[in-house]
Amino acid sequence: MSLKRITKELNDLGRDPPTSCSAGPVGDDVYHWQASIMGPPDSPYAGGVFFLSIHFPTDYPFKPPKIAFTTKIYHPNINANGNICLDILKDQWSPALTISKVLLSICSLLTDANPDDPLVPEIAHIYKTDRAKYEAQAREWTKKYAV
Amino acid sequence: MEIDGNTLLIIIIVLFLFFSTPGGDGVSSQYEFNQLETFKRQLSAEYESFERMNYNSGFRNITGFKLSLNDVIDDPQRNATYPIPSKDYEHWFQNQDYLILPEDVTSRIKNEVWSLDMDDLDENIFPPNITSSLLGRIQLVSNNKYPSIPMPIPRFYEGPTEFSDVTPPVGESYPEEWPVNSELHNVTFDTGQLTIHLTHVDKVASKLGSERKNFFNSQTDRWKFLNLRISLSDKSEHEKHLLHTNAIYDVRKGRILAMSESAKFHSRFAFPHYMNLQDGSDSDDKEMFESLKKAIEEYWKMSNFVKTLTMGDLQDWYDESVLKCEYMVFLQLSPWNQYTRDQIKMIDDELNWPLGRPANLSHLPPVTISKGILYSPDCGVELAFQDAKGERYELKIRSIRTHLLFGIGLFIAQIYLLLCQMHHTNTPSSVNKISVYCFSMINLVDGSLATIYFFAGNFLPELYLPLVTSAFACFILASVFETRYLISVYASQLNERNIGISTLLRGGHTNNEEGGTGTGTTVIPDESSISGSLYARFFFMLVTFTVLALSAMSWPRKLRMIFEYSVIIVLNSYWLPQIFRNAIKGTLPRRNRLRDQRANEAMGVRRQNKMPLLWKFVLGTTLIRTLPVVYVFTYSSNVFRHHRNVRFVVVLCLWLLFQIAMLYSQDILGSRWFLPRMSIPEGYSYHKAMPAQDLLEHGSTAKYTIDCAICMSEVPVRVEEVLETHNVDEQTYMVTPCDHIFHTHCLENWMSYKLQCPVCRSPLPPL
Repeated sequence: MSLKRITKELNDLGRDPPTSCSAGPVGDDVYHWQASIMGPPDSPYAGGVFFLSIHFPTDYPFKPPKIAFTTKIYHPNINANGNICLDILKDQWSPALTISKVLLSICSLLTDANPDDPLVPEIAHIYKTDRAKYEAQAREWTKKYAV
Repeated sequence: MEIDGNTLLIIIIVLFLFFSTPGGDGVSSQYEFNQLETFKRQLSAEYESFERMNYNSGFRNITGFKLSLNDVIDDPQRNATYPIPSKDYEHWFQNQDYLILPEDVTSRIKNEVWSLDMDDLDENIFPPNITSSLLGRIQLVSNNKYPSIPMPIPRFYEGPTEFSDVTPPVGESYPEEWPVNSELHNVTFDTGQLTIHLTHVDKVASKLGSERKNFFNSQTDRWKFLNLRISLSDKSEHEKHLLHTNAIYDVRKGRILAMSESAKFHSRFAFPHYMNLQDGSDSDDKEMFESLKKAIEEYWKMSNFVKTLTMGDLQDWYDESVLKCEYMVFLQLSPWNQYTRDQIKMIDDELNWPLGRPANLSHLPPVTISKGILYSPDCGVELAFQDAKGERYELKIRSIRTHLLFGIGLFIAQIYLLLCQMHHTNTPSSVNKISVYCFSMINLVDGSLATIYFFAGNFLPELYLPLVTSAFACFILASVFETRYLISVYASQLNERNIGISTLLRGGHTNNEEGGTGTGTTVIPDESSISGSLYARFFFMLVTFTVLALSAMSWPRKLRMIFEYSVIIVLNSYWLPQIFRNAIKGTLPRRNRLRDQRANEAMGVRRQNKMPLLWKFVLGTTLIRTLPVVYVFTYSSNVFRHHRNVRFVVVLCLWLLFQIAMLYSQDILGSRWFLPRMSIPEGYSYHKAMPAQDLLEHGSTAKYTIDCAICMSEVPVRVEEVLETHNVDEQTYMVTPCDHIFHTHCLENWMSYKLQCPVCRSPLPPL
């Protein structure tokens, strides 16, 4: 079941690729993908290309895929290990969601961070109190790690 | 923390109350100070009079003993004053001229109660420590047969009449003048129940409020100081009497003399004379008198008796004297002649400091009072009893401890069974079939048990640890496991709350209504808010029930028994709600379920179609919950001293068996076998044909197929108007109440994780 659905998703991605993201299997393992996201132009991440690793559980799509950034990124909801704090990747997962929808959600998370439910409280604090400093820092990290 | 004006005010008030409370002796006004001083002066004077007393001289100015019985008979109008002209204070004989006891009673005490042959003191051996609670039956011997001794209360005990009063009044008051509500407790029943709590007083505090206590008794092998709490009541417990008395236990002879003490009866000075009611040789009596007098003097000095008196004592003495008759209690203990002195000492040591000495504690005879007489000199009531028995306190504590340990075992077994049951119903659909009320009832019992254990732990310091451990085990079971399970059950049933049970059972139009609620007022369960409300309800029920149960313990016997029986029956009907729930949810007979299961396994669907309750859980829970009740009601010497009632236990077991039989029949015959087919409502049906219009709105292709959002492949749908789709089996796809269509195995798989539509997140009715 999971294999069929993942293959289908891969075909759909090839047929109708979303703008600013791409994804595909690493090697022969269909359960392990790599994805990339272009930093959204209206965000401090503009110009950067961020890589993510995707692991599908065997009971996909009933369990959410495990997605993590492999590129370092300065963001209140993404920690140093690349773990993402996003509800649809946890308890709000629904089998009707697909990888491309999830990647789009991550894109919008880059534009609009959620500092009220932070994974890195220090960044969230700066985000809330000194927006300019946060943006400068994010831009610097993007330049350093993602260009 | 910021302190605003109100907080500051409260702090100041609290501090004021704290510092303005009276000192250790409770004196809060000049009047009370004078009262207490008079009280102390009076007792000191009487003590001096006691010190001068010897075996051959009588009572002088001692409150309650100023008149002898013959003084009253000679002149019934005489007031209790000292000195009475022409009264002989220089001699003492055991007759009515000197005693306040009638000759009959004295001779009964000598010949019937304290009648053990005491020529050889080594002949009978008595246990030195007799802390215990004794039970027995008591008879009224006579009432108002003998003239009663007038016992006035000094007036200085009374409260001030004017706010400006500084000096308490002088003189004495007699019963006629006492407030109307003061009833001299007169015994009106012929036979009744008797309970005596015996505790030893070995140490006394020598300072007000001092924690340190000292031994005072240098003759412990001879005299023991006891506190006796004697309660009498008739069988229906309408009339109750409670006496607190000081007592002295003659270890060598097994005699106990107890006397109540109050503002009108300063009995502690009378022990030496009244302990000597026997026909012994003069020199022995004299020696005994002096020995006991010395013991009392030691107690008086070591406890600093006069200096440690407080306003509280004064009030207590006054209340006791106004409300109660004074009693003199003569008791004879049964000897433990089967043991030698050394064995008894070893048994006693082993009970106090268990080290595993070779003492056979399980066959220890009970503490037994073979004969006893209670006589009230001021009310003229005489009561008698025989053979009041009770286990040694330490042994009782031990046996309760074993029972508690067994109880903890039961709790653990219950936790294990509950975990099995939780594992059995691990999908939202199967949890939905469980009855909330069934588990609420189980939860209520466990929760109240935990609370009662916890309360009891505070009252029984010796059992604190086992009680608190039990309370903890029970609390874990009730508030962690059971409540968690309740929350998930409740959450899965949240969307059917608005349908009454009558609607569910009424059949016919319920079909539409139930489907309708699916789209209308449904709520997505939010576990945290549910757990909040459930916990609140749990604790409210718990406190209400516990308070009710505790207060019921003081109700009259008949009312209490009705309450107890009905509560036990109601709380043991816990399978009843589950039987109803099964009937509402409707499970197929076992044979059909097995067939379905095989078919589903062939299709690779792990569909849950089993009875909601695990049989292991049902039987185990019933057993765990019935065992204690059966024990308490059938085993006559149970630790709770509960009366025996086999008939009730049989009724209870039959009731439980009936419930289990119902559950079993539902398992075998289908859960609705006892309902007429007409009244059976239909649940929401996921398998149905769709109108073409709806299908097109949902993005169907021309071939009347739609993409399943879960596996992303096509689902053929049967459409009512289109004939060529009628070869599609309705069982292969499912339509949610929000009109989304999925493959049957896709949606059923998802529903074992969550009852929520994958597309629009609206709640799904359980399978």
